Amino acid sequence: MRAPEYQGSFLGRISIRRNQVMSMEGNHDQELEDLELFQRHIADRFADLLSPQLQTLSEESPSSTAADPLLSISWLRKLLDVFLCCEAEFKAMLIMGRDPSQITKPPLDRLIPEMLDRAVKALDICNAVTNGIETVRHCQKLAEIAVTALDQKPFGDGQVKRAKKALSSLMMAMVGEDKEGSNYSRSWSFGRRSGGAAANHKDRGHLHLRSHTWSISKNWSAAKQIQAMTANLQAPRGGEASGLPSPVYIMSTVIAFVMWTMVAAIPCQERNGLGMHFPVPKQLVWAQSMIALHEKIGEEWKKKEKKGSVGLLDEMQRLERSAQSLIEFADSFQFPAEEERVEEVASQVAEVAETCQKMADGLVPLQLQLREVFHRIVRSRTEILDVLDSTGKVSAPII
Amino acid sequence: MEEKLQRKGQACTVGFFHKPRNYSRRALLLSIMRFDDIKSQKLFILLLDLKPEGINELKTALRLSPGTSQHDMDLPRNVLSDDEIHKVMQSLGGLSLNENVKVKEFLNRADSILQMAMSRLEEELVHILVQHKQYFEPEYVSFHSCQEDAVYDESFVSLEDETVEETSQRVSSGNVSGEYIVDLVHPRVIPDLKAIADVMFASNYDQEFCEVFIGVRKAALDEYFVILAMEKFSIEDVLKLKWSTLSSEIKKWNWAMKIIIQVYLASEKQLCYKILGEFGSVSSFCFVEIAKASLLCLLNFGEAITMGSIQLEKLFRLLDMYEVLNDLLVDIDDLLFEEVGSYVRIEFHELLRKLGHYARATFFELRSAIVSDTSLKPLPRGGIHPLTRYVMNYIKTLTIYDHTINMLLKDHDMDCSNPVAELENEQEISSVTSCALAFQLQLVTSALECNLVNKSKLYKEDALRHIFLLNNIHYMVQKVKNSDLRHFFGDEWIRKHNGKFQQHATSYQRATWSSVLSFLRVDSPGSCSILKTSPKERCKEFSIAFEEVYKNQTQWCISDPQLQEDLRIANLKVIHAYRTFLGITRISDKHIKYKVDDLEKLLLDFFEGSQRSLRSSHRR
Repeated sequence: MRAPEYQGSFLGRISIRRNQVMSMEGNHDQELEDLELFQRHIADRFADLLSPQLQTLSEESPSSTAADPLLSISWLRKLLDVFLCCEAEFKAMLIMGRDPSQITKPPLDRLIPEMLDRAVKALDICNAVTNGIETVRHCQKLAEIAVTALDQKPFGDGQVKRAKKALSSLMMAMVGEDKEGSNYSRSWSFGRRSGGAAANHKDRGHLHLRSHTWSISKNWSAAKQIQAMTANLQAPRGGEASGLPSPVYIMSTVIAFVMWTMVAAIPCQERNGLGMHFPVPKQLVWAQSMIALHEKIGEEWKKKEKKGSVGLLDEMQRLERSAQSLIEFADSFQFPAEEERVEEVASQVAEVAETCQKMADGLVPLQLQLREVFHRIVRSRTEILDVLDSTGKVSAPII
Repeated sequence: MEEKLQRKGQACTVGFFHKPRNYSRRALLLSIMRFDDIKSQKLFILLLDLKPEGINELKTALRLSPGTSQHDMDLPRNVLSDDEIHKVMQSLGGLSLNENVKVKEFLNRADSILQMAMSRLEEELVHILVQHKQYFEPEYVSFHSCQEDAVYDESFVSLEDETVEETSQRVSSGNVSGEYIVDLVHPRVIPDLKAIADVMFASNYDQEFCEVFIGVRKAALDEYFVILAMEKFSIEDVLKLKWSTLSSEIKKWNWAMKIIIQVYLASEKQLCYKILGEFGSVSSFCFVEIAKASLLCLLNFGEAITMGSIQLEKLFRLLDMYEVLNDLLVDIDDLLFEEVGSYVRIEFHELLRKLGHYARATFFELRSAIVSDTSLKPLPRGGIHPLTRYVMNYIKTLTIYDHTINMLLKDHDMDCSNPVAELENEQEISSVTSCALAFQLQLVTSALECNLVNKSKLYKEDALRHIFLLNNIHYMVQKVKNSDLRHFFGDEWIRKHNGKFQQHATSYQRATWSSVLSFLRVDSPGSCSILKTSPKERCKEFSIAFEEVYKNQTQWCISDPQLQEDLRIANLKVIHAYRTFLGITRISDKHIKYKVDDLEKLLLDFFEGSQRSLRSSHRR
């Protein structure tokens, strides 16, 4: 709800920057003010993400009538928006109107290459998640089949079986995820229907067409990348806390958090051990909401991890719940259906249909937005490298 | 109510089967025959068509089915025994709608059977797609044993003159002939696949069809990457790869891009169209779903490449990538012209732009690299500097990419002022020598000359300094004259540089011999004698001076035989002076250390780069 406010001031500060291109270190007060503003924006943006319900109460945004539940597609899209905003602001702070030699001095000569290293890891995560969204879309399609089948009244054996088949595949796709290091996988189970119908066709009875390829590289692990992104993340202390190390640290924290959240939400290549230690000191005011979000999501992850969940994406969780109960219904179904069951099932189907609609509307835009994040990270990395290049003294090797 | 239901049931079955054109008897029979209990078969067949002629048609079909085994060789389980057919036929006769079946029950049963039939068709679809998939095998290039190419070493040292192989390789790996469509699925099963599609779509099972079709075809494309031995890299991996490995991965990428986009995906799109063309946008939707992940994978490799640091040795691979992608953009636009794939298409355009930018920056880096290449010690023996070899071979290779580089430079000039104009002075310039690349190349060689002049200042001896410049400029001229570079530099440049190295030859002569020859000066008759020492004395001093020169200059190196010869011939003027001197002064033989013939022989030892015993060895 504070969006208009901070966007205004953000653009304002860019133009201020432009006007003081030659200003050198002397402007420490300005620097502190910038940092304070940056921290406040971070705090505000993540606070919005933490309590999205507030938005519905706000008069400023009457258009959004429904809240975006935590880890829903629309919430993730907001998260990426927040990332893009923070990133733009950060880059302005780091580069614009700054004497390049300032960012090559210790400890920045170490911190910036470390940050760029995180950026590269984040790019691979973006790609892995983009791929993971394909799996989610596959689940969406299967759920849509169930909806089509159960939309036909009255329920007949055939359509109920059809729905069950699709939902069973859906459950398999959910359970089977990120085992075998394969993030994209489709599986069909044929002839799983009880009875000996498929007995003659054993070879095609259980036909799992699983892609044994991988989307990134063979031994790539999303969890390990996330761990590597946070491993050397240390809050600046003393004098450093008021200088450039601070925004570098904040941005690194934001990128690690955003990527971790995406990986937790969307099926991704190898997520064992994702439960992230998030090394952010609790007393940092700007990080409060982020820490709270991290705890919330972390708890969810712990609950689901053991089950080999497909991810914490709200829509997928809903599908999973509905699918389970619809499968139960299908198992006990006998023609003709009882009236009360019919109503109950119909409302469940309507719910699945609604979830599918959200997925159909949101998943491709989410992919596109991830691509935008990808390109933004690439561009910023290039710009920062150019600045480092211009000073000609990059001490740490940059990959 | 019941009527309505019945109509619905009929509509369902009617929609299913009354499509004479698209009706594939075989596909239907395949599904019918999967039913294990005869009762289901009967009912199903009953549902097919209640009209007598329909039943008759089916009877015929059923009877024929096992016989038409030319299509069924690989599907033996589909063939019913005569006995079974007989049973079906018998029971067919005994059935009629007027039997005591409640309509509701009947519809439920029909629904159930339809579902089973569809499920079977789905299985059949997977089976056919999996069993009959085919891969296009490009036999002409194998990248399994891709050698590393260490041609462009950063150190400016290892570069030899044999870079031509590389370039010829590039040309020969050429284009996969455009518009090359292959069968990714055996053509004889296409009608079956199409029939299954028709039936499933007509029965409202299009979602199942698409999911299965997309899934199997996507897996096939993934498998094709494995067949092509395309390893997938994370961006982090790519940025950490050794250049030699990366270089061969780029070659592989170029190769795979052509095959996958021009052949495989073009064929995939065709396949989608053949099977699903009738269902509007479904065909292109499926195609994009199948292709997207793999295209993004190829794209991301390119992205990772453009994120690397600027290194001169990368330029040729970058230009290769640029050229390949530039050629393929038309195909990519064709493949993804519909809305669904447009973002991938735009991404490829963007990648091309980035590659162009990167290649151009790398190209400009050449000059800065030359300018900043400094040495502390002079190159021993005054030979051809590795930098000269490197730069000349580098730009020689560049000329193969002239079209592309000119294009990139032209794009660049759109923003900057046109520097070409500055070059166009009074001299006549042909169209090639006035292109942007020609201008840039001349800037490069100018920078090189400047650098060489600076390097030459490291020599203490003037004569050796001239030998060094002579050697290097001569090398440059030879490289230009004997390659396509001559088109870019033009005759004027060659003439001018011929002049330059001849100038250095003259200066060398003067620097070497003027002091030595001063001993042989003979007073001309009538002038006052200014020479204090006697001819005998001077002859001795000449010998000592000559020995000194000999000691030095046999060490020096001129590796070009013709140039070596020319310079030795020029040195013969010392012999003339010596002979004249001896003739005029008439010094007795015992005071003469070297006879004219001796000197002549000794002069042949000059510029061998080492001792006489090593005269055949060339330091290259």
